[in-house]
Amino acid sequence: MSSRFMRFSAVTVALTYVALSLVVLAAFAMPLWYSWRETIEEERAHVLKANTHRLVEIFNEQGVAALSVTINAQVDAKAAEDEDLILLIDAQGKKMAGNFSTWPEVLANASGGRTYSIDINGRETRVAAMHVALPGGYRLLVANNIDKYRRLEHFFLLGLGIATGIVVLLGIVSGLLVRRALLAKVRDINRAASAIMAGDFSHRLPHDSGESELNTLAATQNRMLDQIEQLIGSVRNVSNAIAHDLRTPLAELRSRLEELSIAQPAPAPVMDEIHGAIADVDRVINIFNALLRLAEIDTGARRSGFVELDAAGVAGDVADFYLPLAESKDCELNFISSGPLTMTGDPLLLAQAIGNLIDNALKFAGEGGSVTVETSIDGDGAKLISVADNGPGIADTEKEKVFDRFYRGDASRGTPGVGLGLSLVAAVARLHGATLMLSDTHPGLRVTLRIGA
Amino acid sequence: MKLLIVEDNERVAQFLKKGLQESGHTADHAATGRDGMFFAASEPYDAIIMDRMLPGGIDGLGIIEALRKSGNKVPILILSALSGVDDRIRGLKSGGDDYLVKPFAFGELLARLDALVRRSQDARSETTLTVGDLSMDLLSHKVSRSGKPLALQPREFKLLEYLMRHADQVVTRTMLLENIWEYDFDPQTNVVDVHISKLRQKIDAGADRQLLRTIRNSGYMLTAND
Repeated sequence: MSSRFMRFSAVTVALTYVALSLVVLAAFAMPLWYSWRETIEEERAHVLKANTHRLVEIFNEQGVAALSVTINAQVDAKAAEDEDLILLIDAQGKKMAGNFSTWPEVLANASGGRTYSIDINGRETRVAAMHVALPGGYRLLVANNIDKYRRLEHFFLLGLGIATGIVVLLGIVSGLLVRRALLAKVRDINRAASAIMAGDFSHRLPHDSGESELNTLAATQNRMLDQIEQLIGSVRNVSNAIAHDLRTPLAELRSRLEELSIAQPAPAPVMDEIHGAIADVDRVINIFNALLRLAEIDTGARRSGFVELDAAGVAGDVADFYLPLAESKDCELNFISSGPLTMTGDPLLLAQAIGNLIDNALKFAGEGGSVTVETSIDGDGAKLISVADNGPGIADTEKEKVFDRFYRGDASRGTPGVGLGLSLVAAVARLHGATLMLSDTHPGLRVTLRIGA
Repeated sequence: MKLLIVEDNERVAQFLKKGLQESGHTADHAATGRDGMFFAASEPYDAIIMDRMLPGGIDGLGIIEALRKSGNKVPILILSALSGVDDRIRGLKSGGDDYLVKPFAFGELLARLDALVRRSQDARSETTLTVGDLSMDLLSHKVSRSGKPLALQPREFKLLEYLMRHADQVVTRTMLLENIWEYDFDPQTNVVDVHISKLRQKIDAGADRQLLRTIRNSGYMLTAND
């Protein structure tokens, strides 16, 4: 399922679009993020440094008392906010001035400047700090509360996250919408194409007046179909003409022979020849009729005879029809059905196809053999009609060819028939959108018509 | 029977005329649509054999439609080289009673004509059919020969009923296929023959007179006559 989903172009395009959008977003956000951080950090470090430098100078020039006063003055002025933090301790670690009480343990005794997470008046706070060791064991800490900046960072990241989410969501939604629209269109085209393949050449691919790629494609296909329909029409006309032109002389020939046999009694050998000639003509007529019927099926003209039918009932009737023939050959003919198989089709053609299969099976099974006609539904809901015999079966190399017109396998040479029986079965299967399968029954052959699903 | 042949092929028309005369019927021949229309409208016939494609302005189906519109109910057998399913359907829809495709066997044509004419003559419904000492009760579905009951399968019963309704007439294999099994195709093997011989075994076994006979090159006939 997922691989099919990925393969579909609209989804691939949407995903690619999302990925590209994310790259663009990242390309925009990352330099901004870093330069922003750097600028702010630099400025902060600069201010810290200047502040520290000023305080150290006061200490150097006026001593520790003056520094304490200065610090307290500075802190008092800004007592309300905890942004600027200053602490001066003596060598014993006792607070001398500043707005928080204890020297954070994370800071080493030496001087330095970094970002730390320290405990200020009982609250974990992130600060950028600079601390120096002054002569006489005093230590000075000047820090800047950067939680405020952290909030800004959070907002920035949140905004970035929301933007990313919107891009991804839009990509997926538009991808799915495009996919749905495309699939609907493709489904319409598919349906029309299937109907056309099944022989209904009056069908055309659906398309509206727009200039989209699919419309252009559909319009071109339709023009192609117009041409095919025209060609098939002219082929049909030609075969109708041939049929008529051949039927008339054949009718005359048969008439002459029959007239001879009825009107002018002749010696027995001559009469036998005449009857033989009539039988020959009848064979030609039969082949001719079989070919015309095949052509009729192949052009889809028989679709007009499609009705709702019960395929199991049709198969049962045909088996019943052939039962006396089987009995006369000492053959067993069994019919097994799993219940009604409702489908649309031409009952006469189905009956003829099943009849041909049973006829063949009886020939292959021979005296004392057994033939089984079975109707059922397989796991996928497809309808199965199968005819199996226990005859010699056919070689794998022949299986491809048995549905060709006029093909006669080694096993069937010497039996009556012209080799059109299975071609008719194949044509009927095609007309009904069914597949034909040959399998071995060890010994014997099973031919299965699989319809639908 | 007095018959009309509307057929533009001289050869086929002459063969039909000769064959029909030899079978004891009289036949007129019209070679164009116009003549066919004129003959059919002015003379009473027992049946008409109608070709479809005709010269002379009006074709076979046109004649049939015109006749039916004027209330003429004469049985019409269409005889045509057009063999498609739609051709057949169109032919019967226009008012034809039966459809036979060329080339045809004369026996087939004659048997169908007979059946058509009889159908139009006796449309009465019966409850008992008898042929010689064979009788069939259509209500109780019982069949007996010389008073001895015969056990028939439903399909055999239907087959025998058809043969009895067409007693003393030739019934062809195609007619049986179409009417008993409603199949429009010829099975590769002659299955109908096997059905008939099975039925024959049941009704004629042990009897001194054979009722169900095979007519060479045509079909079968159920008859008590010699």
